[in-house]
Amino acid sequence: MKLLIVDDSNVIRQRIARLASDARLPNVEIVGQARNGAEALNLFVRHRPDVVTMDLTMPELGGVECTEQIAAIDDNVNILVVSALSDKSTAITALKKGARGFLYKPFTDDQLVQALLEMLPP
Amino acid sequence: MSDLNEAEIKVFIDAVTNYFNQLTQEPANVRGAFLDDHGGGVPVFDYSGQIAVSGQFRGTITVSAPRAMIRHLLLALNESDQSDANLRDTVGELANTLAGNARKHFGGEMEISVPRTAAGAIGSAGSRKRPYVIMVSWKTYSASLVVDIERLE
Repeated sequence: MKLLIVDDSNVIRQRIARLASDARLPNVEIVGQARNGAEALNLFVRHRPDVVTMDLTMPELGGVECTEQIAAIDDNVNILVVSALSDKSTAITALKKGARGFLYKPFTDDQLVQALLEMLPP
Repeated sequence: MSDLNEAEIKVFIDAVTNYFNQLTQEPANVRGAFLDDHGGGVPVFDYSGQIAVSGQFRGTITVSAPRAMIRHLLLALNESDQSDANLRDTVGELANTLAGNARKHFGGEMEISVPRTAAGAIGSAGSRKRPYVIMVSWKTYSASLVVDIERLE
């Protein structure tokens, strides 16, 4: 499984990268880490990951817009929004733009692994 | 313009409580908010992270914490890189998480910025003369959360 990690926090990106090697997940190849939506778009086009973890509040290009643009390129992509924005309207907007799942910060290790497992293709 | 009410301030207290419970399984002691009546009395520690609020609200949400506490948080996250950049990143992400969680109550009418961080104090774009201060104790450390927000009418 090819994974792209998108978050403006280095600590969060590294944490997700570490948890991606959890034994419960299939072999995960991290194809890139992006600090904003613009970097994410470039990395997505270059590597075509199967799963993207997407922060929402980021500089340059935010996660909702980035999700919409990635979904326009590939509507089969599995985007897991990982965000502190915990209101229903934000989650619904992200899902309408093409996200497949939503995980609220702060998240536990188990919650992230379970959320990634749910993103895997059947 | 109007102040946040008691229930709305509790949203931030609950967000801090949930943050430490979720990430560290070691509960923090979150003391009730008080108004900084005299100005300049807000405790400032080694690193600060701030979120600007806009939309139907205006002001800032600021977290300030000592270096040793943030290092301990990084250890709880299994992060061994305790560089200055990562310490600032962590306090900024903490402010971002608390502000983002507050949107569960306030909804999309409260827009939040990306975090701004600094060593020591950070300037406030808030407008209240008496911001709410919430003191947080975790392990042997103390940190402050300053909610300096008003609702636009």
